[in-house]
Amino acid sequence: MASRLAIIAGYRTPFSRMGTDLAELSADDLGRIAVDALLTRTGLDPEVVDEVIFGCVAQPAEAVNLARVIALRAGLPQRVPAVTVQRNCASGLEALTQAEEKMLAGRGEVFIVGGTESMSRIPLLFNDRASDRFTRLARAKSLLDKVKIASGFRPADFRPRAGLMLGLTDAVSGLNMGETAEVLVREWKIPREEQDAFALESHRRAVAAKEKLREEIIPVFAASERSSEPVRDDNGPREEQSAEALAKLKPVFDRQCGTVTAGNASQITDGAVALLVASEERAHKLGLEPMGFLTASAYVGCDPKRMGMGPLFAIAKLQADHPGKFGPADADLVEINEAFAGQVLAVLRAMDSADFARNALHRDDPLGAPEREILNVNGGAVALGHPVGASGARLVLTALRELTRRNGKRALVTLCVGGGQGAALWLERE
Amino acid sequence: MKDEHDNHGSAAGSNERNVLPSGVTLERRDDGVAVITFDRPGSSANLLDASVFGELGRLLDSLYASSGIRGLIFATAKPSIFIAGADLRALSENVSASDIEKLVDLGQRTFQRIADFPVPTVAAIHGACAGGGCELALACDWRVASDASSTRIGLPETQLGLVPAWGGCTRLTRLLGPAQAADLILKGKLLPARQAKKRGLVDAVCAPENLLDLAVRKAVPGENRPGRSVMGLLRRLQAPVVRPLAERKLKTTAEHYPAPGLALKVITEGALRPTRQSLRLEKEAIVQAASTDVCKNLIRLFFLREKASRKTGKARLPERMAVIGAGVMGAGLAQWFSSRGSRVILNDIAPEPLDRGMRAVRRLYRQGVAKRALTEHDARRGLDRISPADGPVPLPRLDLVIEAAAEKMEVKRKIFQELEEGASDNAILATNTSALSISEIASVCRKPERVIGMHFFNPVHRMPLVEIIPGDKTDPEITGAALDLARSAGKIPVAVGDKPGFLVNRILMPYLVESTLLWEEGFRVRDIDDAMTAFGMPMGPLRLLDEVGIDVAGHVAKTLADAYPERMQIPDVLNTLIQEKNFGKKSGRGFFHYGGRKPEPNQELEDRQTVTREDGPAGEDLAERPILALINEAAFCLHDGIAAGPEDVDLAMVLGTGFAPFRGGPLRHADSIGPARIVERLRALEKKAGARFKPCPLLLEKAEKNEGFHSR
Repeated sequence: MASRLAIIAGYRTPFSRMGTDLAELSADDLGRIAVDALLTRTGLDPEVVDEVIFGCVAQPAEAVNLARVIALRAGLPQRVPAVTVQRNCASGLEALTQAEEKMLAGRGEVFIVGGTESMSRIPLLFNDRASDRFTRLARAKSLLDKVKIASGFRPADFRPRAGLMLGLTDAVSGLNMGETAEVLVREWKIPREEQDAFALESHRRAVAAKEKLREEIIPVFAASERSSEPVRDDNGPREEQSAEALAKLKPVFDRQCGTVTAGNASQITDGAVALLVASEERAHKLGLEPMGFLTASAYVGCDPKRMGMGPLFAIAKLQADHPGKFGPADADLVEINEAFAGQVLAVLRAMDSADFARNALHRDDPLGAPEREILNVNGGAVALGHPVGASGARLVLTALRELTRRNGKRALVTLCVGGGQGAALWLERE
Repeated sequence: MKDEHDNHGSAAGSNERNVLPSGVTLERRDDGVAVITFDRPGSSANLLDASVFGELGRLLDSLYASSGIRGLIFATAKPSIFIAGADLRALSENVSASDIEKLVDLGQRTFQRIADFPVPTVAAIHGACAGGGCELALACDWRVASDASSTRIGLPETQLGLVPAWGGCTRLTRLLGPAQAADLILKGKLLPARQAKKRGLVDAVCAPENLLDLAVRKAVPGENRPGRSVMGLLRRLQAPVVRPLAERKLKTTAEHYPAPGLALKVITEGALRPTRQSLRLEKEAIVQAASTDVCKNLIRLFFLREKASRKTGKARLPERMAVIGAGVMGAGLAQWFSSRGSRVILNDIAPEPLDRGMRAVRRLYRQGVAKRALTEHDARRGLDRISPADGPVPLPRLDLVIEAAAEKMEVKRKIFQELEEGASDNAILATNTSALSISEIASVCRKPERVIGMHFFNPVHRMPLVEIIPGDKTDPEITGAALDLARSAGKIPVAVGDKPGFLVNRILMPYLVESTLLWEEGFRVRDIDDAMTAFGMPMGPLRLLDEVGIDVAGHVAKTLADAYPERMQIPDVLNTLIQEKNFGKKSGRGFFHYGGRKPEPNQELEDRQTVTREDGPAGEDLAERPILALINEAAFCLHDGIAAGPEDVDLAMVLGTGFAPFRGGPLRHADSIGPARIVERLRALEKKAGARFKPCPLLLEKAEKNEGFHSR
């Protein structure tokens, strides 16, 4: 049997809402902090690392091949290569599964993987007309030409396009992510109250898990000029969150008839996660104790308009690839990334739907939804936040930590991916 | 940064060349350009002395006579030095005025020949180009410089009590005008290549590999530097305005340091006179400056510093290290070592103190950028090398651990016990304690031989001294490695004995205590501090106590009072201030009040003086008692074997406390007063003020034999 990928250790920065505690740090700063903490806390000799693989959706313009920048800044030896991966919301998972693929292909045994995102620092962009004028201005030779071109600028040219909004809009269907969620809640008839109740529960669980989450979080020191405290915890979960307050929020994506609000959608957040992974044999030789193993994974495409259904297709594919194994019922823990409360609820309904199984998944029996008791037990992205490039790695880390705490055996981690994809993977402890 | 660019001064081998015994090489290239390369044998530095000038003169003669020379280039074969300046040994102790005059004449004549050389002359500057080296470059028509980090150009003579006298004052004034010349010469600053270019000191900058080519291109068109310009003349006419402005800046130091004033006089007067006369002014000025004790003391300190900085073994800057404790010292150490290139784990027990430490580190880096000591990029790279860790973390693969935690024996012992378990076997385990016994800390370790004291001073980035303190079981190899490690980190180490207060704090404390006793006797804060700054201390003693922190000082005073009760005590006023939580600068109030633009004496405290002297310090030399207490303790340190010799005492006190450098250090100062006189004064004070002034046996011995601490 081929070697399994052992996940040995992982740490993450706190997840901070956009524009708050970590806003001064760039995606590479955050990634460096996570990787540095991983190296410091494990005491790993960076010489043994074969490659650094990091996911990031909006790579900063000043840190192209962000993974390389992170690796060098965190003190990895120069000869250790690094690659940045992008599979939208699953970028942090992609880093992990790519490590596995490289290991299986015999291209390395020890990897530092993870994901990072600074949604605070996704830049504003000039529109095409302004960019064009700037280009011509730069090329203009004579002063007269320069004046001519410069005087052609109009106020509207300086209206920026928010890179963040562009990134959250699907290029093919033209729908914003929130609009895709509205599609699902309409089709699966998920009332606003149910979405809000799910969001409230996410907050409640995240707040209750504060001490547990501290085990995976490393504080960020001297993060900003303003505060005089280390940043220690996620600042998304709201202790005082009430159903009434959630009910008052206006829908964001369909102002008239919609039900998706800022309160029942994932938060826009900054953060980074780093994981140390290695082949089982190498981990053993290095005396590293695995937290768990990556036993199976799948990515699969789906309708971009209904990208939120991605998890179903990915779970089904995993099962089809491994008959008799990896049904949701086998899991001691399940993480479904909470892109939107309504989207997760739609996924859960579809999991129990025989029609959906037959028509969309082309199988006889429904997948079978997990009990709420084992689903997103420490809260999800609605409360903790969704720094897109980092979330996948966070789910793996949080799930493995919790599996260890419960002395469970198997966890299923799954995400929907903007652009119409699903990702699912299985983690196992011995 | 490593420079791996050897031999960029010498070109292809086919050309004709001859090497002279002092390492000056002449090479005539096929293109008609002559290259004179300096390569002093058996030394990493090129220096100027009579024999170099002699050979240089003869080479210039032969070139002058020969035909077909289109240009002349001066270059170096050393990896990081162009010409470091004059061989200062020629100016040591017993040189006569006429010797100096002779050497000045020789240098001026030689450089004038370069200035008068008929074809274009170019200095191809790579590495340190200081003093006489810079004066040679100034005599050339053109100056091109490599952008290597080792390239530094300037005239630092005044910092050694000297005046640039091989045409430096004269030619720099003519090149840049008196205002710029005064700025550069009076501060003695050495400029990196790009800054030198910005100021107009060099004409072009390029990579070391291209330096010779660029120099040739400067020489080949056959252009001498254009002679006098109207602008240049106008600039020189500013001299009468420049002088009073610059003099005002020198006011506070002029009394103790005459050289900058002398140089200013040459620059401003020489600006308006013919070159020949300006050169004569230079000569007069240097003869006057070099005859002073100030100059001799400064040069002696320079040599002591050089000697103490020389590595003796292989130990290098730690690649990886850890600092335990993120307080002021811990943060300062992490910042310093990370800025030099070490990866540093900064460890503290909880996130909050670590956050404060990391903020302090960030602040230090920001200050470094603001002062242009570092670029933004350097600062970020430096910060990236620090790994903050709250709580216990593994400490493998480290070269050095420095403990900088609370000054409590139990705390340190616990840390060292843990370090012995956790830290890699070959790491040096150092403590930055300023007061506790190294041997006692090490006694909890099974392998005390790798435990040592490395006492850095606060602020770490500014204080060059490190006291290296082996405990009774420390392996001498570890001591040697610690010394070299400090040197590699750009610090100057002095090995001292493991007795309370070690060297610097022990000598300083009686001085500080005596100053506070003066206050208790009714003298005013301002009068006491003014007396000591007038003596030449960089800061008054009461102000210094505020800076150090009254609580910290009280702690050290207690340690020392316990160890040497016959001479040291904790003044009541310190206890009072500590009780009232007036810890000095950090709490806003101590002997001074901090709040306004300038610290003002703490009026509330002064109002409480039980005794007052309405007449002020009339007729009293307030400096005498503190300084005598300090000298006596310095003698005790030597007597007790805390320092290896009087040189170490002097160097450590100058570097560690800023003890008036022009006086050469406490023992040098004692020698200049004469031990007999010191004993006499101490005995008088012993009668009047108490047994703490009882002279040290070593002083008595010196007085008896009528000899100084330093052999002449």
